[in-house]
Amino acid sequence: MFEYTDKPFSDAESLAPLNKYVRQWFNENFSELTLPQKFAFKFIANGKNLLVTAPTGSGKTLSSFLSIINALFNYSLEGSLENKIYCIYVSPLRALNNDIYRNLKLPLDKIYDIIVKEKGIDIIKDNIQKVTIGIRTGDTEQSERAKQLKNPPNILVTTPESLAIMLSSEKFSENFRSVQYIIIDEVHELANNKRGMHLALSVERLARIAEHRLVRIGMSATLYPLEEAAKFLVGYEKGKPRDCIIVDASWSKKFDLKLMAPVQDLIYSNDALIENETYKILDSVIKHNKTTLIFTNTRSNTERVIFNLKKRFNYDLDIAAHHGSLSRESRLSVEEMLKKGDLKCVVSSTSLELGVDIGTINNVVQLGSPKSVTRLIQRIGRSGHSFKDTARGEIIVLDRDDLVECAIMIDSLKSKSLDAFRVPQNPLDVLAQHILGMSLTSQWSIDDAYNLVVQAYPFHALPRADFDSVLDYLAGNYVELESRKVYSKIWLDKSGGTFSRRGNAKLIFMLNQGTIPDEASINVIAGRKHIGSIQEEFFEKLKPNDIFALGGHLYRFESSNGMNCYVSLADAAAPTIPPWFSEQLPLSYELAMNINKFRRQMLDAIIKDRESIGANIKKLKKGEKIDAVLKSMGVDQASSNVIFSYFMEQFLFAGTIPNDKILLIEQTYDATQEVNLIIFHSLYGRRINDALSRLFAIELSNRFDTDVGIMINDNGFILKPDQKIDFTLKTNYNIVDALHSKDIEEMMKENLKRTELLKNRFRHVAVRSFMILKRYKSFKMTVNKQQMSSRMLLKVVEEMDQNFPVLKETYREIFNEVMDLTNAREIISKIKNKEIECKFISTPVPSPFAHTIVSFGYEDILVMKHKRDYLRHLHQLVIEKINENNDHA
Amino acid sequence: MNFMKLTNDIYLIDGLPIAYIKSISAIAISDLHLGYEGIAAKAGVYAPKSNLKKIKEMVGDALGKTGASTIIVTGDIKNEFSSVDIDEYSEMLEFVKFAKRKNTRLILIKGNHDNFVDRYKTLFDIEIFAQEMQKGKYLFFHGEEMPKSISKRVKGNNISEKVEMLIMGHEHPAISLISRIRRKEKLKCFLFGEYRGKQLLVLPAINYLMQGTDINLEPKSRLLSPILKKADINRFRAIAVGYGETLDFGRILDLR
Repeated sequence: MFEYTDKPFSDAESLAPLNKYVRQWFNENFSELTLPQKFAFKFIANGKNLLVTAPTGSGKTLSSFLSIINALFNYSLEGSLENKIYCIYVSPLRALNNDIYRNLKLPLDKIYDIIVKEKGIDIIKDNIQKVTIGIRTGDTEQSERAKQLKNPPNILVTTPESLAIMLSSEKFSENFRSVQYIIIDEVHELANNKRGMHLALSVERLARIAEHRLVRIGMSATLYPLEEAAKFLVGYEKGKPRDCIIVDASWSKKFDLKLMAPVQDLIYSNDALIENETYKILDSVIKHNKTTLIFTNTRSNTERVIFNLKKRFNYDLDIAAHHGSLSRESRLSVEEMLKKGDLKCVVSSTSLELGVDIGTINNVVQLGSPKSVTRLIQRIGRSGHSFKDTARGEIIVLDRDDLVECAIMIDSLKSKSLDAFRVPQNPLDVLAQHILGMSLTSQWSIDDAYNLVVQAYPFHALPRADFDSVLDYLAGNYVELESRKVYSKIWLDKSGGTFSRRGNAKLIFMLNQGTIPDEASINVIAGRKHIGSIQEEFFEKLKPNDIFALGGHLYRFESSNGMNCYVSLADAAAPTIPPWFSEQLPLSYELAMNINKFRRQMLDAIIKDRESIGANIKKLKKGEKIDAVLKSMGVDQASSNVIFSYFMEQFLFAGTIPNDKILLIEQTYDATQEVNLIIFHSLYGRRINDALSRLFAIELSNRFDTDVGIMINDNGFILKPDQKIDFTLKTNYNIVDALHSKDIEEMMKENLKRTELLKNRFRHVAVRSFMILKRYKSFKMTVNKQQMSSRMLLKVVEEMDQNFPVLKETYREIFNEVMDLTNAREIISKIKNKEIECKFISTPVPSPFAHTIVSFGYEDILVMKHKRDYLRHLHQLVIEKINENNDHA
Repeated sequence: MNFMKLTNDIYLIDGLPIAYIKSISAIAISDLHLGYEGIAAKAGVYAPKSNLKKIKEMVGDALGKTGASTIIVTGDIKNEFSSVDIDEYSEMLEFVKFAKRKNTRLILIKGNHDNFVDRYKTLFDIEIFAQEMQKGKYLFFHGEEMPKSISKRVKGNNISEKVEMLIMGHEHPAISLISRIRRKEKLKCFLFGEYRGKQLLVLPAINYLMQGTDINLEPKSRLLSPILKKADINRFRAIAVGYGETLDFGRILDLR
């Protein structure tokens, strides 16, 4: 059962369970408890499973550890502390592990000193041992590992990957018998991905080895729904989640957030002005604060901001960049400088979101929308060192959609309406790794192993047939008997109902386990010329005929083979996909729906206020209702005016405003490219739009026997038929009817065949499932070779059996993680049963709400200028049209 | 029976990478690379076995349709260069037995992957030619080097007057086409053209797992066979095989 509590224990109650030495140390170092500590000390002392969400810098580390340290010193004082592991701490980051190790080593030493001071020579007589701590990651030296095996530390700090390796070592796993506590830090970074799924199973295996009941403690930045995170943390027993106490202390920090636009007019101000004003704001914020952290949405932007700040304001070594493309050394050195207070400002894309200790940040600036409320909290929450400080930050918006999105994001933050996450279910590649790992340490009864696996939340509803198919796969039962010696990685005895290890499996496991795929770099070739390279994650987003920017030119994607991407120069065309598309996280579904709700409220208010608004586009007056809606948003007057005119332009031009109840479909013409566009104003986020657009395109292409190009972003998607077609509302409903009655999963599978997306994801899954080995005996397989091999495998596997676990998992990953097929299906049914009403309009130029998606591909290429020119051009046309209509009226 | 008639004597069986030569009652296949999956598995790529099974299906189908009494393999019956792997051995043996069961004679012209095959000649009871074999109007060879009877370096060499057509493998020819929905579609193909006044037929690889070289995309310099580097490849016709059909796509030049 899950128990929520928001009533902290008093300081006295919290400290009461501590022995006098630990309490003395605490009192000497802290004057009071932080909010998470007021829950954690007592609950952990009572042996409860506990999930705490709290912002960075709220004393989370000590919250989780102090009661455990106390318990260990109690053993020590009794003379019963042994060289055994009592507590395991897991975090996704090695850097964080190093911090934790340092931050705990000191208190452990100090507390021991206090004891020594009082007991003197008695410590030897009473056998009072030091509580030890050790660290084990991929960086740990072989000699240190050997030491840990013989002489394990009381507290072991590690990563999910290293934990899995230790669990699968016959000798080391013996050391886990004594474990009583497991702490999982940064739960929000694990619960939604394969690393976390992998960890969830490791924890169940650990619980099985441990002779005591395992106390599970999870520490997390804010995430929602908390039950989902708790299930991930504590797992299932007898088909039900284990007990857990949930504490939401995320809101202990206050937020002071400002929304800023660099200029009043986001459309007609010239670029130089917008840029100047943006940098002026940045400079002023940096000058007024001791340390400022700036978040951009892409790595290239990070570099650009640094470059401009240096050029414009004579900053030098006092500002630095920190992002994933930089080497580990340079990132570490930036972190060190931050800690020492040597930097005025650091610019980051995502890498500093995590809880690595970076000292005191006074202010956080977010450039553009961070696309999710949770991410906003996480980022802004990095400012203000102590838990009592207020987190201060500014969001600088760069266009009108950004403005609306961020205004609603701040509103959602205030009303604590967060994005929901889901723990992926039944990832079969992760399961395959664990079954192999399990086989290494002992013989298993198949039933017993299944019962263990379903205790992990990501597998709690795993169909037995899927479990069996993974066993069959690992046993090599997909090839004929005589080859199994080479193909099988476990020994499966079906009649006896057991499985166990095979000779070479240990080597395979130790060299290849882990869930993070090697990312490939793809060569871009035009004609016979090598133009440059793109990242695989971007490559897999490309559809043939997409136009993208590289090195100052535009190219059309034509075909690919393995590591090569063939393109042709297309400078005259319009880009359809921005280069950062794979880097920026999609807009969260919940936030999208909040924006839709706001759009609906605005539409209702506009209709009610229609009379008082007036028809002159230049002299619109907000009515009462509109004013009320905008006021409730809490934005300043200037922003409120911008939003009002943006919505009015859309309303006057298109006659309606798309929202959660109205899906606006707009057929229009793009004169610059001379193409017909069918724009779906489906503000559902990119993952749903990815699925929806493909499905609509397939149907459209079949009906009209034409090629259909696709562009998507968070706010909608565009279908571009190759020839002029007569699209009507009826066509739309026919398509919806067809989609509603069809097996869309099958349609998608067909659609994905031979796409880069399928090929790449299959490679990742095949590597995770040990169907392709990255490392084996003396070789290391290059990504290139992995790719070639996976293509060959895919061809055979596709013909073999659609339920082959490696293929099944590939589709599951694409449908649930890359896209959101479930919600896409939901949207289709809502349209079908008229919960969402489709409205169709034909426009001479794209309506205002379509402008960002139409110009989407332009974004962030070095010709940002072109995008603005294009936007202004569109806007001009819209205004002319509205005026024209008024003149006629 | 559905065939594409390439010449008065040579027929391409619909959908199969196999040529039937009527006058000598033989089918010609190339580049089997038997043992492929087993070798891949030893290197850490666990491909399910399908190659030999598919080859037997295709060859069985061709023999049934043509009644040919001979199978000519123009090289690379197996995959490894340096030795004979156990998987190769067992698959070769299985293929030999298969040919026997079908009452056909198996002739192998060695390719660059066929070292050490000679040691099984007696055991398998097959004919093996090291370089080339002339049979009727045809000269069969693998293709990784110029056969002696063509090579200019060997003095006084002239392709025998009697030879009208050269038949080889090695190149694994394929063509890539962009389909209507803009997907790249790769199809194995025969190449049919001329070299020094003789007809030249390049057989596609019958190996099921190997995709082949895109003859219409790769520059000539990247081709593997010396004879194709010398020939005017653009004027060769590509006869593609796939989806149960065999279709003439015309000249390579027009497919670039």
